Amino acid sequence: MKTINILILFISWFSFSQNKQILYGFSEIPQSLLLNPGGEVKNDWYFGIPLLSHIHANIGSSGSTVYDIFADDGVDFNTKLRNAINSMNSTDFMRINQQLDIFSGGFAFGNTYEKKAYLSFGLYQEFNFLAYFPKDFAVLALEGNQTNINRIFNANHFNAQTDIVSVFHVGYNKKVNDAFTFGFRGKIYSNIINLSTTQNRGTFITQVGENNFYNHIFNLDLELKTSGLASLTGDDSDFEAKDLKKRILFGGNLGLGFDVGFTYKYNDKWTFDASLLDIGFIKHSKDVENYKVDGAYTFEGINPIFPNSGSGQTADEYWSEIEEDFEDLFTVDTTATKYTTWRPAKLNASLNYAFGKKTEKECNCLKEAGGYLNAVGMQLFAISTPKQPQLALTAYYYRRLIKGLRVKATYTIDSYSFKNVGLGLSAHIGGANFYVMADNFLEYKNIYNAQSVSLQLGFNYIFNKNED
Amino acid sequence: MLKQKIKPYTLLIIFGFALISCTKDIDFNQVNDFKATPVIESSLIFLNEPANQFIDDGVEIISIQDSVEIDFFNNGFIQDNLIKTEFVFETNNSIHRGFQVQVDFFNESNQLVHQFIFNAIASIDNINVVENHIETFEDSELVALKSTRLMVFTLSVLSGNAINENTLGEIQLKSKGIFYLNIERDL
Repeated sequence: MKTINILILFISWFSFSQNKQILYGFSEIPQSLLLNPGGEVKNDWYFGIPLLSHIHANIGSSGSTVYDIFADDGVDFNTKLRNAINSMNSTDFMRINQQLDIFSGGFAFGNTYEKKAYLSFGLYQEFNFLAYFPKDFAVLALEGNQTNINRIFNANHFNAQTDIVSVFHVGYNKKVNDAFTFGFRGKIYSNIINLSTTQNRGTFITQVGENNFYNHIFNLDLELKTSGLASLTGDDSDFEAKDLKKRILFGGNLGLGFDVGFTYKYNDKWTFDASLLDIGFIKHSKDVENYKVDGAYTFEGINPIFPNSGSGQTADEYWSEIEEDFEDLFTVDTTATKYTTWRPAKLNASLNYAFGKKTEKECNCLKEAGGYLNAVGMQLFAISTPKQPQLALTAYYYRRLIKGLRVKATYTIDSYSFKNVGLGLSAHIGGANFYVMADNFLEYKNIYNAQSVSLQLGFNYIFNKNED
Repeated sequence: MLKQKIKPYTLLIIFGFALISCTKDIDFNQVNDFKATPVIESSLIFLNEPANQFIDDGVEIISIQDSVEIDFFNNGFIQDNLIKTEFVFETNNSIHRGFQVQVDFFNESNQLVHQFIFNAIASIDNINVVENHIETFEDSELVALKSTRLMVFTLSVLSGNAINENTLGEIQLKSKGIFYLNIERDL
């Protein structure tokens, strides 16, 4: 039990929502360019400390929390479980997202006086898991059909996908003039494992029948698609670490994608920026194994005494036929049909207002232009899912505390909660940069009650432009 | 300047504390208490025949018998979790003769392990007569049911006035099984 506790704590700590609302726009941190390739660049060159430059993970559940179900409060566990199930519906989901930079770097180029173009690149690994709550089938399993006559059990409540990919990317950022910066990033995805069951259709229903008490109507069209899995789970699997390395380095099923973004400075106080990320796909053609159940059948019981008035069937033959019908319905067909998955596309946009120039007490004079200490703004985030897109709205306050230390506080409203407070800081000591961010601070007094929790950190070495 | 230097450290400390999250009491062992008690209802056998079905070449049929092999109970999940079963029968008879339904349960070695009989009484003036029978399987009957691999159905026409091609009325039989499951944590 202790290990589970530790595991959950670990996951909770190393968790970040797919929405990186604290990192977005935090232009002192080079990794913010991954959230907007057209963002402002504040360094001449940088490299990320390999494997440590960006560690990101998130676990979130829009429905019940760990505390709702496992609280040691004297209430019967099964009561808590049923309450949790009743309170959730099929649009509630659980999402886990994790990213790890393997390497990353970037450098400015152009004419020596003012380098206005910037190239960044890297390789990161990403893990995604998204499952919707299969409400109808949880109810069927817990209650059975007796209390659910005429209830339609929807097969589309089975909706889940998970994958592990590695992503190699190269981004180009161009400062056109003082007002406008744009950028784009090309990505090559290499799929390590993918499982996806998002196109399920059909129903199961028990209705009052004519010949007998009930008609049980099955109408099912279910499919689970997998790639990269069969070679791992097969009986004669000889999968080794070197094969994993190969898959990370473009040996898996490949895909292509891109990010675009821009920043527009209306004046030195007002800035608007936006980005679209992961517009891309992966084509699964190698190591594919799909499982499909497809059929329709209505069962009203059997008539063993008059199996088929006039046809001379015996009850056994008649029963065998019914058995075959059931087998046809539930037989799992295995195929190796190629398929394509789309990456979860993300949209970010923000409107920012900078204010409060630094005053030096000694001379009571203003520092050079652009030296605002504070910024406030609103950020919008959206991500595509197999069901409706998920949205988040963030208000933030950013402050340069002292030279080399910047902080950002956020307040986010999203599918998980209406009161997600996040904090991030970025420290710069010489060329070394360390950043750490976490959200859902209000829930830290009882982490188990948090619907999503996150922590994100990284180490870089940055060579800055003439930094103030 | 001093003031400005203190601020970030204070913040760091607050931040550090915040990262050491607290928890309220959680007991994951509660998962051992998991229990689900679904109740599944399924149609079983049925028939719906007019009186003249019981005439064969002008001769009255006394009884009809057929059997069905049952594999349903030969299943670990059912063996472990099925705690009670009811077979519910409803007859609707508008024929002027009574009927008897007999169901015999045989195990793998063809030994009779359970048997029950119920009647649909004769109708007067073709007015529909509804009758119900519920056969409950608990304890030793449930053990017998779980060992069942063959069920034999016998429909007998009880004595009374002769049936001919012009006899009015029909006999209808509906049935369902109610399966009570008790699934405890064996996760």
